[in-house]
Amino acid sequence: MAELTKSGVAGVLARQGILIAFVIFMVGFAIANQRFIAVDNVFGVIRSSAILGVMALGVTFVVIGGNLDLSVGSMMSFSTIVVLDLHDKLGPALAIPAMFALTLLLGAFIGFLVGYLKLNSLIVTLGMLSAIHGLTLTWSGGKNMDIADKSGTWFGFFGQGSVMGIPMPILMFAGLAAVLGIVLARTPFGRKVYAVGGNGTAATFSGVPRARVVFTTYLLSAFCVATAGLMQASRSMGSQNTVGQGMELEVLAAVILGGASLLGGSGTIFKTVIGVLILGFIQNGLLLVGLEFYVQYVVTWTIIILAVWLDIAAKRGRLWSPIA
Amino acid sequence: MKLTFGAVLATTTAISGAAFAASHSDTMTIGITQNNVGVDSYQTTYEQAFIAAAEANDMVETVVLDAGGDVARQIAQMEDLIQQEVDAIIIWPTNGEAVIPAVRKASQAGIPVIVTNSNIAEQGFDFVASFSGPDNITQGSRSAEIMCDRFKDLGIDGEARVVQISGQPGYTTAIERAQGFEERLPEVCPDVTLVETQPGDWNREKSQQVMEAFLVKYDDIDGVYSGDDNMGVGALNAAKAAGRAGDITFVGATNFAVGYEAMAAGDYWGSIYQSPVDDAEAALQTAIDVLNGEEVPFLNYFDTPKITQDNMDEFTKPVF
Repeated sequence: MAELTKSGVAGVLARQGILIAFVIFMVGFAIANQRFIAVDNVFGVIRSSAILGVMALGVTFVVIGGNLDLSVGSMMSFSTIVVLDLHDKLGPALAIPAMFALTLLLGAFIGFLVGYLKLNSLIVTLGMLSAIHGLTLTWSGGKNMDIADKSGTWFGFFGQGSVMGIPMPILMFAGLAAVLGIVLARTPFGRKVYAVGGNGTAATFSGVPRARVVFTTYLLSAFCVATAGLMQASRSMGSQNTVGQGMELEVLAAVILGGASLLGGSGTIFKTVIGVLILGFIQNGLLLVGLEFYVQYVVTWTIIILAVWLDIAAKRGRLWSPIA
Repeated sequence: MKLTFGAVLATTTAISGAAFAASHSDTMTIGITQNNVGVDSYQTTYEQAFIAAAEANDMVETVVLDAGGDVARQIAQMEDLIQQEVDAIIIWPTNGEAVIPAVRKASQAGIPVIVTNSNIAEQGFDFVASFSGPDNITQGSRSAEIMCDRFKDLGIDGEARVVQISGQPGYTTAIERAQGFEERLPEVCPDVTLVETQPGDWNREKSQQVMEAFLVKYDDIDGVYSGDDNMGVGALNAAKAAGRAGDITFVGATNFAVGYEAMAAGDYWGSIYQSPVDDAEAALQTAIDVLNGEEVPFLNYFDTPKITQDNMDEFTKPVF
């Protein structure tokens, strides 16, 4: 490893360290239990990772823009509860756009605080994590929300349906990843997100509307959260108030695992998707191996830290660094 | 009377005054610190029932607090209640071990502590006046009996294979239900195998994922025991999606409305009927009995009967 140069095979290693780590884990689990790579298991894992994945897509924009979003977990609970409640009151055709509008409003509020008022995103979104949780509980009165007539509605399509044999959550995750991947890599807006996150002051002096870009990243994040909430609600047709609790950290882990810098300015949608899949497959793989579940927490995070290390090591060409 | 945490802090003096007055009249002030109201419908209904029961009783004043699932906050709330010199404290532990020092402090201050719903760890028992709640070990055993009886009816008790989806690791309720189930099953159905246990964290989505993995891993699953119906319905959803729900007997605990509905639809076999209203009323009554100097058993369980598709007509649908 110490002799890696940025050319040829070594160059690929350096750029795709996380991808290689991913392949190593997949092969390892497949040897441990061959059902791991059975088609229905792979589909199952991607489908259940899709909810986390869709949220991670939005957070990728926020993180590249140099900010954090810790509110996505409780915002997802909010979307899920709201759409389930409105489903029985307004019908699915109105409930879905209404839920999206409300969730986007929350995103706009956070975007306003962080973008235009320049408040620290860690504090704002940490506060919103609790505030939105309270909002959700106020909305539901703390009760579980369930669709009364589960068989008489088409609402289950987004979570349980499939098109040409591919489950809808996978299609939505893939579709959104493709669109957002293009937005980030190929549009002026995408370049502005990198510019703002890389060096905000320089971006401002170059005429990039920093506040508006940051605001838009939070809107995008809220849109992704609303989509995730829709998938979640549609998949289980009922939910408790804490359905998204703790997901903000898993989302952040997936984004960072994909190689986005917490300091902003770097990361890609593709690598976030790999990060999401690593998380999903580790959890599933450990279940299939049948490891004692107390040990699973330890092993999961050991693997994640190992993956991050491999990624960093490949980038700098050596396993350890005497300078920070 | 319901007070928020902040309001209690602001009015500590006023309430201490009230508690002082209480010792001179016949009313008793009972403080309660709950685990996490709003996290699920059971706890929400519990709080409502507790407040309603206290309001219906002229002799009782209450200070209702909620720890929001946070151990540190619950310990602080215990200290506040001790400062306020309430007559008795009811605690729904956020953690069976970590709250023991706070319980001991209350006990040493001469305030009887009643533990509700989930007991604290055994080394704290000396400081507890009484535990009021469901007997989780019995619930686990009864779920094993429901499962076994069903297998006998189906004629597969000689070879059935069962998976278990347990509650949050480290949570007393989860541990005790699993223990009751695991001990009782081989007694009533010695030839049934429990092939694997994984936690569903009281979470329907998590449970659904665990069940998906089980379905991939095992071609032959005859029964699923879940630590509560919320997780049980998650497992049922996974089995339905895989087209295998018809081959599997689902048994849960803490019958939820969704579990009751799934039983009515014939998808879900049985559960344990546990009412949060009974739970709350039993806790308040235990506290009152302790304060009146009555003889109260240390483990003061309220009954939680078996419910299956066969006898569900005898029970009203749970409100949570």
